[in-house]
Amino acid sequence: MPTRKGGPRQPRERVARPDTATPPPRRASTQAAADVAQAKPAQRNQLFPAGASLYPLDTETQSPEDWYGRDPGEDLDELAKARCALVRVFVSWRVIEPQVGQYAEEAIERLAGIIEAARSRKIQTVVCFFADDRHSELTDVTWGKRRDPRNDSYLVQREAALIQKVVGRLRKEAGVFAWQLGNEAFIAGFTSSDELETWVATMREAIREVDPTRPIGLGADAETLFRSNGVDARNALESCEFAVSHVTAAYRAYAAEGPLTSGPSTYLDSFLLRHAHRGRPVLLDDVGTLALDMSAGEEASYLRSVLWGGFINRAGGALVRRLRDMDTERREPYFIDPFETLVGLMDAEGVAKPAYTELNKFVRTVARIDLKAHTLLAERTAVLVPSERYEPLPNLAGLYDPRSCLHAFIATKNAHVPVAVIGEDDGFEEFQVLVVPSVFALADKTWERLGTFVQSGGTLLLSYGGGDAHPASRDLFGVEFLGDGGPREELSCRVAQPDVLGALESFDARFEVPNFALLSGGTATIVATDAQGSPLLTVNQVGQGRAVYIAVPLERAIAQGDPWATPAPIRHLIREVYGAVARAAGCGAPVECSAAEVEVALFQGEADDVVVLLNHSDAKEEAVLTLERRVASISDVRGGTPVAVGSNTFTVGLEPNGASALRLTYA
Amino acid sequence: MSPRSRQVLLAEGLARQGHVAPAVEACYEALRLDESDPLVHVLLSDLFLAGDFYDEAIEAASTAIELDPDCAPAFLSLGLAYDRRGGMWDQSILVWHELAEVAPDLVTAHVQLGEAFAAAAFEEEAIEAWRAALGLNAHEARAMYNLAVAALKKEGMATALPGFRRAGELDPSQDDFFFALAGVYDDGAAAPDPIDVAPDRDSRLGAAFALAFEEDYFSAVDLIRLILDENASDAEALALAGYLYLKQDSVNEAMAVALRALAISTKTPTAVYVLGAAFAKRPGLNRNAARVFGALAKAVPNQAMPHVLLAESLLGLQRFGQAKQAYLRAVELDPTFVRARFGLAAVFLTEGEYARAHHEIRRAAYHDTRRQGLFWRLYDDYAQGRE
Repeated sequence: MPTRKGGPRQPRERVARPDTATPPPRRASTQAAADVAQAKPAQRNQLFPAGASLYPLDTETQSPEDWYGRDPGEDLDELAKARCALVRVFVSWRVIEPQVGQYAEEAIERLAGIIEAARSRKIQTVVCFFADDRHSELTDVTWGKRRDPRNDSYLVQREAALIQKVVGRLRKEAGVFAWQLGNEAFIAGFTSSDELETWVATMREAIREVDPTRPIGLGADAETLFRSNGVDARNALESCEFAVSHVTAAYRAYAAEGPLTSGPSTYLDSFLLRHAHRGRPVLLDDVGTLALDMSAGEEASYLRSVLWGGFINRAGGALVRRLRDMDTERREPYFIDPFETLVGLMDAEGVAKPAYTELNKFVRTVARIDLKAHTLLAERTAVLVPSERYEPLPNLAGLYDPRSCLHAFIATKNAHVPVAVIGEDDGFEEFQVLVVPSVFALADKTWERLGTFVQSGGTLLLSYGGGDAHPASRDLFGVEFLGDGGPREELSCRVAQPDVLGALESFDARFEVPNFALLSGGTATIVATDAQGSPLLTVNQVGQGRAVYIAVPLERAIAQGDPWATPAPIRHLIREVYGAVARAAGCGAPVECSAAEVEVALFQGEADDVVVLLNHSDAKEEAVLTLERRVASISDVRGGTPVAVGSNTFTVGLEPNGASALRLTYA
Repeated sequence: MSPRSRQVLLAEGLARQGHVAPAVEACYEALRLDESDPLVHVLLSDLFLAGDFYDEAIEAASTAIELDPDCAPAFLSLGLAYDRRGGMWDQSILVWHELAEVAPDLVTAHVQLGEAFAAAAFEEEAIEAWRAALGLNAHEARAMYNLAVAALKKEGMATALPGFRRAGELDPSQDDFFFALAGVYDDGAAAPDPIDVAPDRDSRLGAAFALAFEEDYFSAVDLIRLILDENASDAEALALAGYLYLKQDSVNEAMAVALRALAISTKTPTAVYVLGAAFAKRPGLNRNAARVFGALAKAVPNQAMPHVLLAESLLGLQRFGQAKQAYLRAVELDPTFVRARFGLAAVFLTEGEYARAHHEIRRAAYHDTRRQGLFWRLYDDYAQGRE
C-alpha cells in the first residue's frame, strides 16, 4: 500500500567524502581573511565611533571620594555589548591631588585600570580633566580655599601639573583616544574670551610637553557657551584638534522650546553640529534627553533622531549623555539643575531602556556603511550666521539671529538640499549658494565679498531683516529700497512669475511678520508680490550669478511665531524658494523626496550608493524618492534580499522618528 | 519716590507701541543714567519676554524684584518667563504664590499657579488654584479648560467633554464666530435704539444683530418678532432667533427654529451654526453635531472655529484621530486659539502623548497671557503708586 504520493522515498545518494590524500589547494591568506570578513560583518564603524560617558557616581548618596569606586567593568561590558567604541571618563582633581603636590597614586592607577579595561573591550577612552558634574565635586580641591581654578594663577599652575602627572602616566596607554580639557559646566565659569584662551593655551602646553600627538579638545560648544555666559570660545577652539557640539538645557529653551520628537527640536543638534564644524572633526556630544519627565519611548525616539542626524551631518562620532541613570534622592519631581546629567541608557538598576537598544541598533547599522568607500555628497549651500550674532545687548540681533539661522537650516533640509553653516568671516569659495536669513546688518566688507561671490557665479538668497538697507544691496538685488512697511498680521503672496522660484502658490495666511521692505522696481524680476502689489520675492541677474531677495524676515517670523504651527503655505513658500534657488545653481537635492520632514543624505560609492532617510516627524511618513539615475535594486544596508526597482522612483515607509539606511545599485 | 524720567517715559512709549529694539535701546540708555530704577528693569523684562528671550527676561525681572520686592509687574514677568521657558516649575510656583499675595485679585496669577502645580505633578493643589481663579472670576475660561483637562486625566473624556464645552462658552470667540458668519463685526459704533430703527426688514435685521452683539437680547427679540410678523419665512431672522434661544438655554426651540430656517434656505450659515450648537448641547447628539459642523467647516474652511466645533463633536464620538486633525487645522489657521490648543492637548492626553499635551497647554497659556495685556495694567498701577 503506497503511503505517500510518489511511492516510497528513494534512498538518498551518498555524497563522497573528499579525498583526504589530495587536499584542496589552500587559498592565499589575504583571500581567506577577506572571506572571513565577508562572513562576519563589521560590528563597529571605525570612522564613526559611538559610545557614552561613564560618570563616576551612580547615586546621590555617594560622596565625592567614591569616584569610580564601583568596578566599571559591568558598565563597560554593557557598552561593549552595544558595540560601542568610545567612552569618556572624568578625572577627579579632588581625589587625585588630596594635598598640594601629593598625588594619590592608587587613584591614578584606578583611572589607568578603567582605561585598560575599556581597551580590552575594544573601547577607546576620552579623558576629561576638569569637569563639573554637580555631584562628584571633581575640581573642588579642599586646599584650593575657594579660589577660582579658571583664573587663579596658583591653581592654574596646579592644574597644569595635574595634567602632566595624569598624561605622563597614561600616555603609553593605547586605549586613550583623546584628551578633553573640561566640560561646559566648568568652562561656563570663565568670564572672558581672553581668560579662556590663556587657560586653554596653558593646559594644551602642559599636555603637549608630555604627549605631542593625541588630539586635544576643549569640551565646550562655542554657540551654547556664548549663549550661556557671553564668552566667545571660537579662538580657543581654533587651537584644538577636535570640537564638540551639544544642546544644553538653556540653549534648547532659547532656540527650540517644544516637543522633543517633532519640529525644530529634532534639527537643533544637527544645526549646532554644523555650526561647530569649522574644518575640524566634531564629536556629537552629550546626546540624549535632559529632563526626567520624558517617557522611555520619547528618550529612544529622540536619541535615534539625534544619532542619525549627527551621522548624516558629518559628525566625527557620538557620545551619549551617560550610560546609567543617576539614582537620585527623593526630590521635587520638577527640580533639575541645567548642568546635571541624570538620564542614561539604562536605569539605575542596570536594566537596559529602549534607548540602549536604539544605540545598539544604530551602531550595528552604521557599521555596515563603509565610510571609506562611500562619501557624503559635498555641501554647496551654506547658511551664513552673521557676525552681529556676537554683538552684546542692547543689540537684539545677537538674540534673534541664531533662531533665524536655525529655521533657514530647517527650510534647506526640508528642501532636501545638502547644507552647511558658516560664519560671516569664513570663506565663500566652497559654496554655490549662500543663504543670509533675516539679517539686520552685515559688515561693509562682507557686502563687497558677497558682490564678488555673485559676480563670479554664486547665488545669494537674502531676506530682509528690518531697518535701512545697505547701499550695496541696491545694485546687488536690483531693487530700490523705499523703507520699512512695519509689522503685518497677515502675509499675502501673489505669484507674478510662476516657476521662476519653484512651484509657488498665491495665498493669504495669518502669519505675523515684524517688517516688510517696501521696494520699487529696478533691474530685478519680481517673482511674487503681496496683495497690494509690493514686491515680495525678486531675482536679479548679476554677472554670472543671481541675487534673490525676500522682502520679509521670513525665517525670523517663523522662529518668533509658533514654529510647531507655521501655516502650511508659509512652509511651502520657504521650502520651494530655497529648493529652487539651489536647484538653479546646480546644487539642489541629490535625491528628490516627497516628504518635507524626511531628511535625506546620499553617500556616494563606486559601485553603489547609500541613502539614509531620517523622519523628523512624530507621524508615519511615506517618502517617495526620485533619483536622476535608474535604480536597479535597493536593500537594507544590514543585509537582506535586494528588492528590484527598475525605475528612478521608489517609496520608503518610515515610522515616527524612524530612520532607514538603504543601499542602492543602479541599472 | 521720584517721578519717571524722560528716558523712562521714552522707553515706555516705544514699548507700548511694540517697537522692541528701540525700546530696549532706550532702556539701556535709562539704565546708564540710573541703574537702580526698577521700572526700567521691569520694562526690559517685558520687552525680552515679548521677544521670547526668557533667560534675559528672568534676569531683568529678578533685578527689578531685588530693587523693589513689591514690584508686581516684575513678578508677573518673572512668572511668565519661568513658565514659558519651561523646566523651572519650582521657581514658577514660588513666584505665582508671591504675586497672588501682592495682587490678590489677579485671576491670572491663580491660573498660572495651577498650571505650574500641574506641570510639577501636584494635581490637587492645581485644582485648588483653578477653583480659586474661578472664585474670583467665574468667566475665566482657561481655569475651566484646565479643570476639564484635570477631569480628563482622572476620569476620561466622557466626564471632561462638558467641561471643555462650558469653557468654550465662556470664551467669547464662539459668539464672535456666529456674528462673523452674519457679517457683523465690532466697528466701534453703538447699536441703534430699537425705536429709531427704520421699519424695513434690512434695517430691523441689521439692528437686531447689532443689539444681539451687544448682548441686548430682549431688544433684539422685539425686532426679530417684527420681521417674522411680516415674513415668517425669513431664514436669516429665524437663525438669529435660534441664536437668541441658545443664549437663553432654550435648546429645543433653537433647534426647531434653525431647522425651519434651513428648510427655507440651506445656504444660511448662521442657521447651520445654531443647529450644530444646539445639537452639541444635547447629550447623545454628537453624531448630528459632527455632521453639521463638518458641513460648516467645509463652507468656511479658513475660519478656525468650525474646525474646533467639529473636533469637539468628534471627541464626543471618541473619534480622537479625526478630532486631532480638525484641531490641528484650527491651530494652523489660528495658532493663538486657546480653545483649540486645549482641545489638542486633550487628544494628546488620550493618546498618551503627555509631553505634546503639556506643550499645547503651555502654548495656550502663552497666547492667552499675551492677549490679556496684564503687564501694562500692573505696570501703570505700580508706576502711579510710586509717584
